[in-house]
Amino acid sequence: MRSPSYPTPHGAHTPSVRRAMRTVAVLATAAALAAAAPAAGAAAQAGAASPAGTTASATTAAATASAAPVRAASTPGASGIAAKPYMGWSSWSMQSSKYPGLNPDGDYSYLTEANVLKQTDALAAKLKPYGYDYVNIDAGWWRDNTWKPEFDQYARQTPDPVRFPHGMASVADHIHAKGLKAGIYLPVGLEKEGYADGKAPIWHAPDCTTADIVYPDLRTTNGWDSAYKLDFSRPCAQKYIDSQAQMFADWGYDFLKLDGVGPGSFKTGDNYDNVPDVAAWHQAIAATGRPIHLELSWSLDIGHAADWQKYSNGWRIDTDVECYCDTLVSWENSVNDRWNDAPAWSHEAGPGGWNDLDAIDVGNGDMDGLTKAERQSYLTLWAINKSPLFTGDDITRLDDYGLSLLTNRDVIAVDQSDAPVARPVTPVGDQQVWATGNSDGSYTVALFNLGSAPASVTAHWASLGFTGNAAVRDLWNKESLGTHKDQITEALPAHGSRLFTVRPGGSPLATTTYEAEAPDNTLTGNASVATCDACSGGKKVGNLYVGSKLGINDVRVKKAGIYTVRVSYVSGDPRSVTVYSNSGNGTSLPFPATGDWGTADTVSVQLALKAGTNTITFDSGDGYAPDIDKIDVPRSA
Amino acid sequence: MDIQHTEASDDRPSRRGFLSLAAATGAAAALGLPAFTASAAPLRPTASPLLSAADAARNQLWWRTPGSADSMIQQGLPVGNGRLGALAGNDPAGELLMISDATLWTGGANDTLQDDGQFPYGRADFGSLTLLARLTVEMDGHDLGAADGYRRTLDLAQGLVTASYRLAGTTYQRQIFASHPDDAIVLHFSQQGGGTHTGTIRLAGTHGETTTASGAGPCVSFGASFANGLKYGAAVTARSSTGKVAVDGASISFSGCEDLTVVVSGGTDYAPDAAAGFRDPALDPERLARTKALAAAAHSADTLLHTHVADFRALSGRLDIDLGTSSPAQRALDTWERLQARYRDDVPDPELEAAYLRFGRYLMISGSRGSLPMGLQGPWLDGNDPDWMGDYHTDINIQMNYWMADRAGLSDCFDAFADYCLAQLPSWTDITRRLFNTSTNRYRNSSGRIAGWTVAISTNPYGGGGWWWHPAGNAWLCQSLFEHYEYTQDRAYLEKILPLLEGAVEFWEARLLTTTVTDASGAEREVLIADSDWSPEQGPLDAKGITYAQELVWNLFGNYHTATEVLGRDSAHRAAVDALRERLYLPVVSPKTGWLEEWMSPDNLGETTHRHLSPLIGLFPGDRIRPDDSTPKDILDGATALLTARGMNSYGWSNAWRSLCWARLKDADRAYQLVVTNLKPWAGDGNGTALNLFDIYQVEPGRGIFQIDANFGTPAAIVEMLLYSRPGHVELLPALPDAWAASGSVSGVGVRGGFVADVRWRGGRVTEATFRSVGGRSTTVVAGGRTRHISLMPGESTTLRNL
Repeated sequence: MRSPSYPTPHGAHTPSVRRAMRTVAVLATAAALAAAAPAAGAAAQAGAASPAGTTASATTAAATASAAPVRAASTPGASGIAAKPYMGWSSWSMQSSKYPGLNPDGDYSYLTEANVLKQTDALAAKLKPYGYDYVNIDAGWWRDNTWKPEFDQYARQTPDPVRFPHGMASVADHIHAKGLKAGIYLPVGLEKEGYADGKAPIWHAPDCTTADIVYPDLRTTNGWDSAYKLDFSRPCAQKYIDSQAQMFADWGYDFLKLDGVGPGSFKTGDNYDNVPDVAAWHQAIAATGRPIHLELSWSLDIGHAADWQKYSNGWRIDTDVECYCDTLVSWENSVNDRWNDAPAWSHEAGPGGWNDLDAIDVGNGDMDGLTKAERQSYLTLWAINKSPLFTGDDITRLDDYGLSLLTNRDVIAVDQSDAPVARPVTPVGDQQVWATGNSDGSYTVALFNLGSAPASVTAHWASLGFTGNAAVRDLWNKESLGTHKDQITEALPAHGSRLFTVRPGGSPLATTTYEAEAPDNTLTGNASVATCDACSGGKKVGNLYVGSKLGINDVRVKKAGIYTVRVSYVSGDPRSVTVYSNSGNGTSLPFPATGDWGTADTVSVQLALKAGTNTITFDSGDGYAPDIDKIDVPRSA
Repeated sequence: MDIQHTEASDDRPSRRGFLSLAAATGAAAALGLPAFTASAAPLRPTASPLLSAADAARNQLWWRTPGSADSMIQQGLPVGNGRLGALAGNDPAGELLMISDATLWTGGANDTLQDDGQFPYGRADFGSLTLLARLTVEMDGHDLGAADGYRRTLDLAQGLVTASYRLAGTTYQRQIFASHPDDAIVLHFSQQGGGTHTGTIRLAGTHGETTTASGAGPCVSFGASFANGLKYGAAVTARSSTGKVAVDGASISFSGCEDLTVVVSGGTDYAPDAAAGFRDPALDPERLARTKALAAAAHSADTLLHTHVADFRALSGRLDIDLGTSSPAQRALDTWERLQARYRDDVPDPELEAAYLRFGRYLMISGSRGSLPMGLQGPWLDGNDPDWMGDYHTDINIQMNYWMADRAGLSDCFDAFADYCLAQLPSWTDITRRLFNTSTNRYRNSSGRIAGWTVAISTNPYGGGGWWWHPAGNAWLCQSLFEHYEYTQDRAYLEKILPLLEGAVEFWEARLLTTTVTDASGAEREVLIADSDWSPEQGPLDAKGITYAQELVWNLFGNYHTATEVLGRDSAHRAAVDALRERLYLPVVSPKTGWLEEWMSPDNLGETTHRHLSPLIGLFPGDRIRPDDSTPKDILDGATALLTARGMNSYGWSNAWRSLCWARLKDADRAYQLVVTNLKPWAGDGNGTALNLFDIYQVEPGRGIFQIDANFGTPAAIVEMLLYSRPGHVELLPALPDAWAASGSVSGVGVRGGFVADVRWRGGRVTEATFRSVGGRSTTVVAGGRTRHISLMPGESTTLRNL
């Protein structure tokens, strides 16, 4: 969640008039709740956060890039935490919604013991058989209905007696009694209200008070600047984290979401570098002896992916999925952001730590704020990204369709499988195809139509590296679609999707490779050859910007036709390039980010080639294009 | 050269098919309903007229996705019976038809001018074409997201929209067509595999009408009237051989139906009769709609289909075209993907390019039969506020709509245009005589005299004009009307339109001014020039002697000469008009720009790349300016320079006109490039061709609107590249682009002078050409640099080989 006291603007990194207006509304609401909130400042800063982070990340990530750089996190260990993406329920979606009746005692008041236990029972009854086993209490368990926080004598958050009259341990017990796991929440740093003039003692640390854990200048941290930054050069700071971790362990919690973590949470700069906090939590949790899953939020800086992998079990790659509106979410704000933002992270996830796309609010129908097609697409993207699958829905009121989505075992199996995270295998325009290879030789293939009108989407087997026939199974409709030669095309509704298992029966695709750096190619404008460890031949062509072009010459095929040309490229951020053959006009194609400037990925494009020699051109147009490593051209169309 | 005279027969299969169909239906020549009226029982074919699957496939567009209910004008597939038009969305879960009637116009005579002497141009006074109804057929459980193998097709030869998909082991299919003989739109839902249809049919007006159940049959309907008194109504009924179909409140519900046939009809009490105030007082549209829907639904779906297809094929089969073979890769793409690939790869797709012409013919057969002619959108709307009222623009657009008709074997479809002008003539004459010389009208006759008729830039079906006076509009309408005679040599038709020509001539006799000009040689001479006018739609608002008017009046007077000569009328007046024509000023080339002047000025007073080619009207559609020795070289060069300056990058109809001009100049590359430019796929910005092949003009960023004229002008250009004609003279393959040169053929092309031609070529050269006389007697034929002369009696044909 993003604690309502210190709201940060949704989508400030993707400004639009409509969003800006909505942001104002959110800020206004929050200001009424917490007069101290430096809301406007947060809004102004947020937009600048990500570019700097991206630049900083380039060298770090490059050092570890490899052909298939799936990195094991440090924490799976014997406990098996996050061996697979976790599944469950979280309270925040309903807390944050203005849906009538959800929060009768003021904003965010949904979070109560009664509601958590009600959802626990429903989860146990309806979803636990499918693997959903975490019940996660989000922000506010220590705040009253005016959002005033409460602390124990040791500056530790303490449950609000109205919300949780029997305390947090009792809730955890109930959850455990249902065979489920209990999750809890904290913002990173020492919340300002817990500082108590520096006089609060730290539990089990006789020489420490709150004055000894922060910086003397009381510099603030986290995504809302709602806390004082902890100074881990002072031993008392670790003691404070230890005291919180021990409290959660004593209560019996199995999961902690640490929120507002930077770099990320729309913040950059030293004050918002919470890597030491996360490391301290990792250490403190280990010291308790209780396996506790540590999840980080929100919009974590990909440049610190190695840190998140080292110290945590999952990281939110994006802003809140919730819309803070009359429904739980809406397509535009911000479910659909994930299609653009997830590819950069595809290489970062693995056993022990996963890319967290946030809650899946697909079960309630109208309250979700989505069409049926959108609900299916939402869960499809989460599953192929191997995101944690936790719903924010009212589990007591799942509609039939929502239940069928959340309990589709084939789709859950995609999420929980040992296949790598899927990536787009086409450019990422309104229609896109994502895929990943499964250990049994089959492929998981998702078709998406992000456009607002129905559209057909085609998956070419050549983009998966084979040709000929393949057996196709439709996971959502639970039917075999028979054998399809070379491709499958389906009509998708607006914002719709299909999810297939494709089992090749043909042969590997024979291709010819043409290196971007080949001497006979035509480089125009600023285009130039650069070294690239991750690239074929150790080189690529970059500096494709503002009119610069790469023409790959002498591309030879025997027969005229439309070919599926696989492009290997490097692009730290999503960039578009116009690709055409010979005299064609081409199409401006958005390539998904590869995550950093040291990792190469591929997408496939359709181009007509004539018999004989051809030129394939990558034209930056008036923008910035990805660096090009090579193309692989099928020997026959 | 090898000239063979033969009897009037044709052993080409397609032609024979057409003839037998025409005989079977008797409908080919009958030009149906002047309005929404009770009609005689249709002639029904005794044998199936359906094409084989392979033949049908040659003439089909297809898509792998349904249309969006929010983008029907770009994604709905059009059907029409010449009066009723509909856009179909084809979503499995909810078939949506947006239904228009060509006569459902608000507004009226609009004969109170504004203070500036011009016409009001609003939806209440001038009026607007509007939607008749919205029909939905909701299919429970047929979510697109669960359907496999979705496909829809538009069958351009048989006039059918078809959609199919698989769902839980059943293949569902629906067919939609607008029947001219049954005067109704039919939707037929069927399946293979044991599934059934359950759902709801809703018919809703678009102006706040209330739909109610009626007494007889499972039928619901509505009826209402506009403020202008126009009454209208629509009705829908349904039947199934299994399951249950019943009225449920104001809708019709159906359940467990293995098949389902839905029939909708509707119309207005519009009558093309100025004397009757453009109304038929005896007509109750709602009641007639019910009667027609129920009458049609009494027949089986097969019977309705066969009746429709026989009727449709009688027209669609009159022309065939083959511009070459596309690649298997291109054929594997659906129509939308093909448009995208054509643009992306810049690889010619001759079958797609031919399909664009077929689509234009499909629209004309569907949109222009026996009712009002097609305006800016034809009878296809997605709302009640079409841009520019969906009206008749007389300064290019309605003319362009009909350039294709005779050229592409659809002379019968032209009649709606001619009949419209004739029906409007009394009002146009009345309004011209009463109002044109209003003192505030900047275009009034300086002479103070008034005679005949003219029009405004916009016209409606109630005799009314909109926007500004358009003095030369009468001459341009007459140019189109007379050209139809040139194609058909139909003397009765010429007699019918003679009053229009006479009235236009009289108007100009009263309007022309005498002035003195100095020739390049320095010699002065007295000439006749048009009074103040606006060269559409740019430059000075009132300039005298604009090229547009001079050329059109020159053309009008010449056509008047021919018409009166043919009909043996009024030789004295003919001579007087001839004398005026001799004195008409004709444009010169500007020494400053090197262009043929648009105004009587050496200066460029307008936009260099303006969309209109008004000063080139003598190049196309006229043929005063020709790339042969008949035209002074400086005039030809000046026209070419002006056309070059106008550029290659405009939009739809404007590119089509440019292409036609370049075809006349025998510049195949440019003519073809402009056709290709119009095929650019439209996906939200710029100009181009939408998913459903409608031409889209971006009126402002993010808003594209449908302008049907390009859908007709571009096919006209395709034909003009293959055959140029004027009475007595034909040129074959005058501007054949490389992309189509390898081999191809076209049959059924109209030839001015009264012939129909079939042409085959290989390697860019004509291999065979057949001419059939539909009234023409003789013509020269130029092909491959050689000239032949042919003489035929009406009905005879001849084949030229080894050209």
